[in-house]
Formats: sequence, C-alpha cells, structure tokens
Amino acid sequence: MASSAPRRCAEPLIGSIAALLATAALVVAVAGSAVDAHEPDDGVPGAAPMDFVPPPPGSYALPTIMRAPDGPVLDPAGRRRPLSRFTAGKITLLGFIYTSCADARGCPLAYQVFHTVRHRVSEDPDLREHVRLVSLSFDPARDTAAVMRRYAAGAPANGVEWAFLTTEGPRTLVPLLDGFGQDVRVELDTHGRPAGPLAHVLKVFLLDKSAAVREIYTTAYLYPEVIMNDIKTLRLADRPQRKAAR
Amino acid sequence: MRGIDIRFMCAAALVGIIALAAGARPAAADETCNSPYMGNLIKGQEDYLYVWALGIKGMGDGSDKLVTIDVNPSSSRYGKVINKVSVRGQGEAHHMGFTDDRRFLWAGGLDSSRITIFDIGADPSRPKLVRTISDMPAKTGYVGPHTFYAMPGRMIVQGLSNTKDGGGVTGMAIYSNKGELVSTHAMPTTDGGDGYGYDVAINPQKNVMLTSSFTGRKNYMRPLGELVKDAEAMKKFGNTMVVWDLKAMKAKKVLNVPGAPLEIRWSLKDGDTWAITASALTSKLWLIKPDASGEWQAKDVAVIGDPTQIPLPVDISINKDGTGLWVNTFMDGKTRYFDLSNPEQPKQTYEKVTGKQVNMISQSWDGTRVYIASSLLANWDKGGADNEQFVRGFSWDGKELKPTFEVDFNKEKLGRAHHMKLGSKAMKAAYGLERTATLR
Repeated sequence: MASSAPRRCAEPLIGSIAALLATAALVVAVAGSAVDAHEPDDGVPGAAPMDFVPPPPGSYALPTIMRAPDGPVLDPAGRRRPLSRFTAGKITLLGFIYTSCADARGCPLAYQVFHTVRHRVSEDPDLREHVRLVSLSFDPARDTAAVMRRYAAGAPANGVEWAFLTTEGPRTLVPLLDGFGQDVRVELDTHGRPAGPLAHVLKVFLLDKSAAVREIYTTAYLYPEVIMNDIKTLRLADRPQRKAAR
Repeated sequence: MRGIDIRFMCAAALVGIIALAAGARPAAADETCNSPYMGNLIKGQEDYLYVWALGIKGMGDGSDKLVTIDVNPSSSRYGKVINKVSVRGQGEAHHMGFTDDRRFLWAGGLDSSRITIFDIGADPSRPKLVRTISDMPAKTGYVGPHTFYAMPGRMIVQGLSNTKDGGGVTGMAIYSNKGELVSTHAMPTTDGGDGYGYDVAINPQKNVMLTSSFTGRKNYMRPLGELVKDAEAMKKFGNTMVVWDLKAMKAKKVLNVPGAPLEIRWSLKDGDTWAITASALTSKLWLIKPDASGEWQAKDVAVIGDPTQIPLPVDISINKDGTGLWVNTFMDGKTRYFDLSNPEQPKQTYEKVTGKQVNMISQSWDGTRVYIASSLLANWDKGGADNEQFVRGFSWDGKELKPTFEVDFNKEKLGRAHHMKLGSKAMKAAYGLERTATLR
C-alpha cells in the first residue's frame, strides 16, 4: 500500500484510542486553563528547531496571497455567524483543527504555538486589542459547538480574543476549506477503500484586518518568533492609515 | 521547566503516545527532491509516475502531454501508460512541481512560457487539466518557467529568461495555489550576481533559499550543435548560486559556481546543513554549506566523468539520508552513483549506461526504485538512432541497477519524455462529491 506522511489527526480508527484522545484533549484543556498566565514555550511537541534570527518587523514585505473566504460558521454557543465576523477588523491567526488530533506535529503543535503567540500578544499593549486567534474545526461530525465550547475552556480570557468555531457540516465547511486551500484526505486500504485517519497538511493563516491572507505557515515554518514578527509587520503597515484617519 | 508547563507537556506526551499507537508517523522531509513544505510523502510503494512529455510534430497528436504510467508491481497494468492529457501544441514541456498539499501538479513550457495546472487529488490515476496561466511574461517580464517549488499555500516559479532580450537575466514569480500572481523577485545582478536562474531549494530551519543558474531562451531554444560552436553564446551561461534570506526574499550572498550549476538538493538527514549541486559545463559536484564562522560557501568536491569530454551532468537525485547521489550525464548516457558518506569528498562507486541519452532521474523514498527519462530539450536531444525516447524503471539493491520496465515514448507516439513525479492512490481529497474545485 502506498503510504503518505501528512499531519494525521486521529479520526477514531480505534474506538478505545478515540476515547483516550478525548481524555487527552480535556487534559490539555484543563492544563491550559491553569497555565494561561505562563508562556507554554518549552518543548513544543514535534517542532523542528529554528536555527536563524528572523528579519526584524517591517524590514520585509508580506504581499497579499489571497482573500479569505466567507461563509456560515457556528460559534461555541451554536449561533450561526459569518466567518468574516472572525476574520475582519483585526489581524487574525487562523488554523483548522480537530479536537481529537493525535499527531504531535499537527494540531497539538498548532495549539501550543497559538497559546504562545496569544500570551506574547497579551503582553504587548500595541497588539492586544488588534489581534485575534481563530481555531476552526474541519471535523463537524464530531466537533459540535458543544465540543468546541469545552475545548475553548483551555483558553481562558486574557484580553486577546480566541474564537473556537465549527460548521454545520461538509456543505458549509468544504467551501471554506477550498477557499483557504486547506486539504483533507482519506487514507485508503489496499483495496482502495477509505480506512484510517483523515489526513491534512497543517496550515496556519495570518490575515490582515481586511481579511486578506498575508502569510501561511506549515509545520516546517511554524515558529512563534516568526509569527510575532509578521504580526508586528502588519501592525506597522497599519500605522500610516491610523494616522491618516485621525 | 515551569510546573504548569509540565502538566501541559504531560498531556502532550499522552497525545504523542496515542499518536504512535495509532501508527501516525510524522515526516521530516519530502521524498528526496521536493519542497520541505510538502507534507504528503510517499514512503511506501508509489502507484503512478507522471511524465511531462514534449510533443513532436507529426507524432500522435503532436502536443505536449502529461503521461501517467502505472508503476505498482502488484498492478495488472504495471509499466503501462494508463492515462494521458494533452495540452495545446508544443511549448517545450520541461519541469513540474506539486503544490504543498500535493493536490495539484504545476507544469511549465520553456518556449510557450505557459503554466499548466493539473488536479491530481480528485483521481490520482486520471490527472485533470484545470487551469492554464498564459500571462507570466506579460505580468512579470520573465519567460521560461522552469522550477516549481512549493511554499505554504503558494508556488515559487523560477524563470530562465526575460521578455526584453531573451538572455539569462531573469527572476522568480510567486503565485498563490489558486494561480494568482503574488510577487516577483529579480535575480541579483550586483555584488557578483549574473542575474541568471534555474533551480530553487529551501532549508526552512535555516531560513535559507538557494538558487542556481543556467542560460536564456536564445540559448536553450537553439540547436545544441550550433550553440556549442558559438563562443560568444557559450559565455552566456550562469556561473553563480545565490543564498537568500527566505523570509525577506532578499539575496544575501552570491556564490561563484562556474559552469551552469543546475539541480540543488539539500541533505534530508536531520542535523545536516549542506546542499549539493552539479555544474553542467564543468562537470563537477559542488558542496554548499556554512563555514566555521557561519558564512555560506561553495566548493567543488568531485569531478563527474572526464570533464574534458563534457559528459554534461543534467540531473541529480539524493537519497533520503544524504549518503548517496545519482548523477545522470546526458552525452554518454550514463547513470552514476556517488557515495556521499563524506560530502566533502564524494566517491563514485557505480556507473551504468542506461540509455543512448539520459536526462532526468528520480528515486523512491527508500531508494530501491529508480526512474530515468531520456529528453533534455527538443533542440538539444540527439538525432537518428541515438534519439531514444523512453522512461525506464530500475530496481536498486545497492550494487546493481536492474531494468524493471520500459515505456518507449517513440513507439507509443507520446513524444519526448522529460520530468517525472511520483503519485499515489492515497492522495485523494476528502468529502467526496461535496468537495468543490479550488481551481475553476
């Protein structure tokens, strides 16, 4: 059988493992609820070592890659909202997740990087009000609004918005996946039948406040230092507009 | 480590343990030659070989085409052409590259400067043409899209030439995966830069991109026999590589690498920070790595065949752990293996004539399967009986290349076989009929 090695987030191939995963996710959430005052920086699971000093904010360009798509999503209260409510108006860091994700270099890595970035943003008065994070599930069958609400408990309020969203189902999810260029694939058995976990390339999207995608990170480049400099670069680009608006 | 973080890490460790139990295996790189941003590696048996073939006037439909060959030995169609998709006319089909999610395959024409995008995610056995980008010259000033190198959500396209004089001064164009132009980046022409381009290779952990250099359209579209007799034209080949700050997309240093350095391959072994290339006209292997002070340097570390005979090394393929390198030399039709255990002193340990002319070479992740294609450029390929056009499969046991199958592109009226990429049934988009087309 041909095998691939994408970021595999554990669709419950084995029931008992699924149960353990749910437990693990809750443990992460509970731990997260206690840790938010600290920066969860040590030992990012599976992160490749960063061996360079990133260029300083404002010393480089972040050209527009594409417009972020829009469409209906469900907030943790189960209310139907346009995604644009969560992508426009602030610099936004958005990633697709499964709450049952198992690959240490997949969703857990993104989750911890999000925690780190959020903590650093919260400590920067110039950024705090102008940055949000969005985690959007691409497993609507399991990640209901209620599940996302429980998952969100791992990120208590610290002054920086973090929205945990899902969708009503594939019909509303797929246009968002395609709009962002986020792949999801099904592993096949030797007979070409669906088997095993869903698989995807981990991607995190940085949007400016007009919902234009300005940077995309995958596992090989998901460094909090780089993300923070990119956020500051976008923030610096906002400044002339803010002055002109006064 | 803070106590609170320990709790988080315990949870993460539990998740990691469960991941192992579920059989999930993260990968550090791609199968030997693709972008490190590609996550979907084929580490087992590949099912398909996609071949980008140059059309030949009067042969079949005469058009460039993407040919799909079944290369799974367990298949009843093993070694057979199972699909072909023709594009309009002959545009000097050359290289291809996958998007980061491996869902789309971009293919370029060096003469037409057209970029053709195939969807291979919907049905990997039947690539579907979904978009053609025809305005790269008009929008960028660059022509001859050569290397297609995946970045997250976008594609770097390295040009070979320009619209002004058809020479070798060129640049890179970055497109979104949807095919929209994002930015352009000129190759450096100061501080020793000759402005030429060819290949692209990235080391994300170092934030370094390396580029190499070839020649312009006026040269690569000219008959080789005529070109080599033109001393002035032969001076117009690239002699440089460039070290870039990837994040800033700024050239940091120009390296002197005489004789048209072509394909660049980073060692994929964890902890290695070196890359290797082969210079076509000087027939040498070059090692690119930081010196003791961290300054990037290039040095020639081996000769390939007899450089005075100009064997013309045209493609290389590094193995997964950076310990071995295949080198194809076009003129003598040889496939050579170099031991890279000490990259400072590569040693040739094997050679075999694999065709009357050979160009591209690709290998499976485990290195046990090797694929070779015949064509270099329409006007540089040999004539008469030497103009074999084929894709040949081989097995490699560390000692001998043994033929496994062959597709005769002349006999099957497919044209000239150039670049090859591997495919798998596993690369199939989810959500079935509810998935919409990203590229319309």
